[in-house]
Amino acid sequence: MSVTPDDVRKIAGLAELEVDEATVPALAEQMSRILEYVAQINAVPASEGVKPFIPGPDAVRFRPDEVKPSALAFGPAEFAPAFKDGFFLVPKLGAFEEPEL
Amino acid sequence: MSDPSEALASAKAAADRISKAKRLNACLTPVKELRKSLVAQAQAAHPSGVLYGMPVAVKDNICTLEFTTSCGSRILGGYRSPYDATATAKLKAAGALIAGKTNCDEFGMGSSTEHSAYGRSLHPFDKTRVPGGSSGGSAALVAAGAVPAALGSETGGSVRQPASLCGVVGIKPTYGRVSRYGLVAFGSSLDQIGVLGRSVHDAARVLSVISGRDPRDATCEDRDQLRLPTVPESLQGFVIGIPKEYFPADLDPAVRRACDRAVRLLRELGAAVREVSLPHTGYAVATYYIVAPAEASSNLARYDGARYGPRFNGSEDVRALYRTTRGEGFGAEVRRRVMIGTYVLSSGYYDAYYRRAQQMRALIAQDFRNAFDRGVDLLFTPTTPSPAFKAGEKLGDPVAMYLSDIFTVTANLAGLPAISIPIGRVKGLPLGGQIIGQAFLEDEMLEAAYALERVVPATEEA
Repeated sequence: MSVTPDDVRKIAGLAELEVDEATVPALAEQMSRILEYVAQINAVPASEGVKPFIPGPDAVRFRPDEVKPSALAFGPAEFAPAFKDGFFLVPKLGAFEEPEL
Repeated sequence: MSDPSEALASAKAAADRISKAKRLNACLTPVKELRKSLVAQAQAAHPSGVLYGMPVAVKDNICTLEFTTSCGSRILGGYRSPYDATATAKLKAAGALIAGKTNCDEFGMGSSTEHSAYGRSLHPFDKTRVPGGSSGGSAALVAAGAVPAALGSETGGSVRQPASLCGVVGIKPTYGRVSRYGLVAFGSSLDQIGVLGRSVHDAARVLSVISGRDPRDATCEDRDQLRLPTVPESLQGFVIGIPKEYFPADLDPAVRRACDRAVRLLRELGAAVREVSLPHTGYAVATYYIVAPAEASSNLARYDGARYGPRFNGSEDVRALYRTTRGEGFGAEVRRRVMIGTYVLSSGYYDAYYRRAQQMRALIAQDFRNAFDRGVDLLFTPTTPSPAFKAGEKLGDPVAMYLSDIFTVTANLAGLPAISIPIGRVKGLPLGGQIIGQAFLEDEMLEAAYALERVVPATEEA
């Protein structure tokens, strides 16, 4: 298996996802299968050195840098979980640095 | 239609039909709320609009002021957008009536609509089967005759695949043809709003209305609205390529028979048909399932319990708030894809996965350019490898589910337009054929689709 349960816990931490410990073995197995499947692209040497392809306009068009009235029909107080005096309310920051995973 | 009383009657009739189709779990908007809104919209709509009085349902990941936009997810449960998507605004400006929000796989991640936090949608012909996905609610509602057209969205085939499985028309336009403003982002280099309709004409006229430049989306091309072609008498002068990689030896014989019949009809319509090769097709699903999760893991970082939707609480600090909200708010498939995306973008793996996938994407796009440069105007393929599958059949095997998109992901990776139209039945279940066009030549693709639609026995066994 290419992805271990420890890898799953580490990736979940990087992705800011709480993962139920009981689901970790199944996730490791599923992620291994998916990653083994997608790794087949490495079997094509022709792709080395090719310039990546991104569709869409060749150059990004910028809008004039002008202050315009908000196009929102209502403000964040109505769609945020908690909002007061122009700020989103969240719990305290806690320990900013994560311990090593 | 230009009479306000007709628009009002259309609104009420649509509410009745959607109410009757409730068993499909295709529309997430409560019927009472929908009926009230449709009547108000009909009274406010401008009679000069080209879609005046036409009810159009909208996938739940496209923002609407009237209804909630939950993306089929618990993490956006009850979320009401403070603005309309450009596509929604254009529909309203054309006089269309927004006929509720349709069920979908969470954030568009799925091929069966089983990954919705609001329960699976049912196939309109067989409730034990799936309608496809992720725009399965839109497809089921159109197939049930509840609305003539609905908006869906595509990242890897999420309009064409359910269109094929439900026996309706599904169009994915060229990347950049329709504004993505207000389409909740999944894979930004792949996402496009598309249209499902009862017929090519219904879908195409909705597509025409929502197409065109939008200063709010830098990836939307600076082009006029799509002009619709007339229905051609024949396909004389068209060269249609049949990519051999889409007809593998193990292709379902009934799917092959349906496609062979459609190809014969294209020839009888006057088109020249020739075999072509798109040699990197076999790597498309693998490429897609690196690029799309990578982009998803970045796009879905914004859902943290601080700014949108509900907060899953009990958190003592802000990091715990993020993790609890995301862990409880996202469903299993979204969590899996966010983790795959995080993995392939992480230090030490980026070059082996993401960079190689972007390079493979370039080769897949080059395959198409080579075919078109050799005089082929359009390509014809099956849309799906099988008709609608049983609910639960692929839920335990993510890779098997991903392979449902095997014939559709290439057009998304290459940014090309494609359409699925019904071409026959397999044991009573609908099946679609796909026409892939050249970038921004949707008119040619639609001409061929109009012509084929007129002659193909779409409701006969293949």
